[in-house]
Amino acid sequence: MPVGGMWGSDLVDIRPEFFQVMKSPFSEEKVVCVKALVPDYAILHVQEADIYGNARILGPSYQDVLMARAAKKVILTTERIVGTYRMQEEPKLTAVPHMLVEAVVELPGGAKPGICYPEYLTVDWDDHKAYQKAVKAGEVPQFAAKMLEGRL
Amino acid sequence: MEYGKDYGKPEMMATAIIREIKEGDVVFHGLASPTPMVAMKAAKALGKDFTYVTLSDGLDHDWSRPPYFASTLSENTYIGSVATFGLDEIFDLFASGKGDIAFLSCLQMDKTGRIAMSVLGGKDYDHPKLRGPGGAGSATLTPVTKRTVIWKTAHDKRTFVEHVQFATTSPAIDKPFTVITPLCIFRKPAGEKYLKLDCIFPYTTVEEVKENTGWEIEEKDVPVMAPPTEEELAAIKKVDPNNILAFEF
Repeated sequence: MPVGGMWGSDLVDIRPEFFQVMKSPFSEEKVVCVKALVPDYAILHVQEADIYGNARILGPSYQDVLMARAAKKVILTTERIVGTYRMQEEPKLTAVPHMLVEAVVELPGGAKPGICYPEYLTVDWDDHKAYQKAVKAGEVPQFAAKMLEGRL
Repeated sequence: MEYGKDYGKPEMMATAIIREIKEGDVVFHGLASPTPMVAMKAAKALGKDFTYVTLSDGLDHDWSRPPYFASTLSENTYIGSVATFGLDEIFDLFASGKGDIAFLSCLQMDKTGRIAMSVLGGKDYDHPKLRGPGGAGSATLTPVTKRTVIWKTAHDKRTFVEHVQFATTSPAIDKPFTVITPLCIFRKPAGEKYLKLDCIFPYTTVEEVKENTGWEIEEKDVPVMAPPTEEELAAIKKVDPNNILAFEF
């Protein structure tokens, strides 16, 4: 798909499998086109979801909605399961609709050691460092087990 | 105002950033940008009327709430916003020519303003010595932003080099392009190819700038930017009581 910007970047030449330059069909202008990325899964953590996969993102949503549309399948983790009536009260606030969603997991604290506004507002640096250490040591499953202690 | 007593390099850089912002501008800063964040909040405190967009989705957040850590992706740039406006919307806004300033940074830069954010050193792109954060924002925004401003809190020959090997982005020839460092401001006027030394800060000399820059600087006599005023310093202190501005220095 065509995008604004990107000209003047060496990335365009070095990654022809992702970037191509085309002449605009409407003018003489040259346009950079990027290949659409289609992830197998998008795993998104949200504040509220119902059991059907309708999700509300109550803080910053970053690229979550785009990723939900791009991915083949979406797995939601959520701070809490809410009734569908929440969506019906304000349909506009549903960021991800159910038909895009494969599975919903109720997982309070699921964004830790990161941030999930307004539930927890600061990064837990001790846990974050432990995670980095676990990645380097190849011990992510053990780290995850510790984080989820008492909930598995 | 006396350097070393009333203000230091962080306050001078923040002041230079404040002075770049004009009334009515649409202004963006990205991730990990405590220096422009504090400067933009201070510009708001000084009463400048501009639109503040950033990655937290928050548009014109409540600038009077002091940041308490250096992340620019916290609720601090979200609470009190008048609208949400996410990164995809910001990219579209700037691509359609409605973005005035994007405050961006770099790992390295050369005299043409070519910026390294992706890789440094090593054999080639796939085998670098250092892989950087990449150019999601800068590659997309630099060519389309009316007045791209690069801020960099280090001024040395490792940063400002003769030639950038792999450019994540480079300035548009038809647009002005500005670089703010702890020592000076470089500017590439619209229609020109090379950065020129535009002005130096009160505590340095053209000689010192030359000694710390990897490219040839031809300018000999350049103006000295006025130090921060009392009002500017007061605004910076007011919005940043926890001195987050010092984080990058």
